[in-house]
Amino acid sequence: MNEERLISKKEVLEQMGISYGQLYRWKRKGLIPEAWFVRRSTFTGQETFFPRDKILDRIARIKDMKDDHPLDDLAELITTSVNAKLRVALSKLERLGWLDGDLLRACCGDETPDEAVSIWEAFVLGVLSRLRQVARDEEIELVQRTLKSQKGNGLLERVSENGVQLKLLRKRVSSGGISAQISLVALTEESAVFDPEIEVVTAIDLGTVLQRINLDLARSSNGATQEAPEAEPGSTEETNEGPGQASTDREVNDE
Amino acid sequence: MSEERRSVSISGSGSLGGGEYTRVSISGSGRVNGDLIAEELKISGSGKVTGRTEVGQITISGSGGFGDAVVAEEMRVSGSARVDGTVEAKELKCSGSFRSGGDIFGEYIKISGSIRVSGDVETDIFKASGGFDIEGLLSADKVEIHLGGRCTAREIGGERIHVERSTSFGGALFNGLVKMLTGGGAAELRVGQIEADEVHLESTTADVVRGKRIEIGPGCKIGMVEYAETLKVHDNAEVGETRKS
Repeated sequence: MNEERLISKKEVLEQMGISYGQLYRWKRKGLIPEAWFVRRSTFTGQETFFPRDKILDRIARIKDMKDDHPLDDLAELITTSVNAKLRVALSKLERLGWLDGDLLRACCGDETPDEAVSIWEAFVLGVLSRLRQVARDEEIELVQRTLKSQKGNGLLERVSENGVQLKLLRKRVSSGGISAQISLVALTEESAVFDPEIEVVTAIDLGTVLQRINLDLARSSNGATQEAPEAEPGSTEETNEGPGQASTDREVNDE
Repeated sequence: MSEERRSVSISGSGSLGGGEYTRVSISGSGRVNGDLIAEELKISGSGKVTGRTEVGQITISGSGGFGDAVVAEEMRVSGSARVDGTVEAKELKCSGSFRSGGDIFGEYIKISGSIRVSGDVETDIFKASGGFDIEGLLSADKVEIHLGGRCTAREIGGERIHVERSTSFGGALFNGLVKMLTGGGAAELRVGQIEADEVHLESTTADVVRGKRIEIGPGCKIGMVEYAETLKVHDNAEVGETRKS
């Protein structure tokens, strides 16, 4: 995986064409997490650095959205901070390609909702739908149980702040002519290292999944309609044809 | 929610259980045991809230103590106040003395007395004409400091930072008053690092100043200045090193 490359504050300002004032303001408004500010002593004194990819991506996103949303609302949309009360319309999940009858049943139990699901359920669906191609049924079940066990531990909050990856791992063990393959699921930082015999089947950036949900909610809602489980398909279609949508699509395809 | 809210006034000596009130007024010596939620809190004697305080308007002209976080729309301190937790006040005005054990988050902060903060101060506008000691970062769109006493911060960052000496007669008189209040100390600013788009400094000692348009005025001692557009240095200022980025 890509290791954390750092970029200095000065370079960030120059590259993104923003001011000190904006950077400090955005930090105050919670748009840039405290944890991204890395202090290092250099020959020019104390300087602040950032994880390069994260900060550039975040600032591009802020610049992109700041004209359409008040700064105070942006934090919720951009940092993927979770408003648990929001519901995600199934039609939206379908458009994202996350809707799968089996997964939905697995995720929500027998009482399959027919209009909307909670953020959490949408999140789990998002993760599972990314696994569908590569993972076996029992592995999908394992992932689901792992996520469920962390639901109460503030997984969504951690995901939005720290960048957590879900990794599906397989290891073959053989001894005395018997060979078995075991599957493991890990929620780790991007940089986690495993022994060489472990095969990383897939790594899913949970932050990206969550961001996808939130961005989509942000786009299709005009403030008050956020609570409404069902957005009109026509109008959401329209708002989704912006350039932002194209870039999020790319994100998904890259994986 | 549907419980009836009461207004309470302590004028002798007394204590009060935490809870929801409309108005709480302490003019003698009073104590609220637990969390306090109210529209208004007035302390003109000596008062303490042991828990978390969530009050629309807080006015302290006597001495107030808060054992936990304070959340307020408006907080005015003309006496002395001490908060052990973080302070979240849209508007904070302090002409007395204020001590915070945590961070302060606000929109408009005006200090003409003295303030000590163990954490960061984050606000849209910060105006000070007294003295302050901020152990962490002072972050604001607009920082306006009329040096009226000893001012220190680990770091200051924002859009516009303006620091000037009070030279007027009124200012000098005021300085004297503030010195008495804050226990003396020259009117100067000492800070590790300053970063802003527009910086004007006087009587400031700093390790590093970074910005777009920078003016280093009289009485400054700056280790290094890094500027993007313009730099002016007064004859009576010392600057170790300058870089244009």
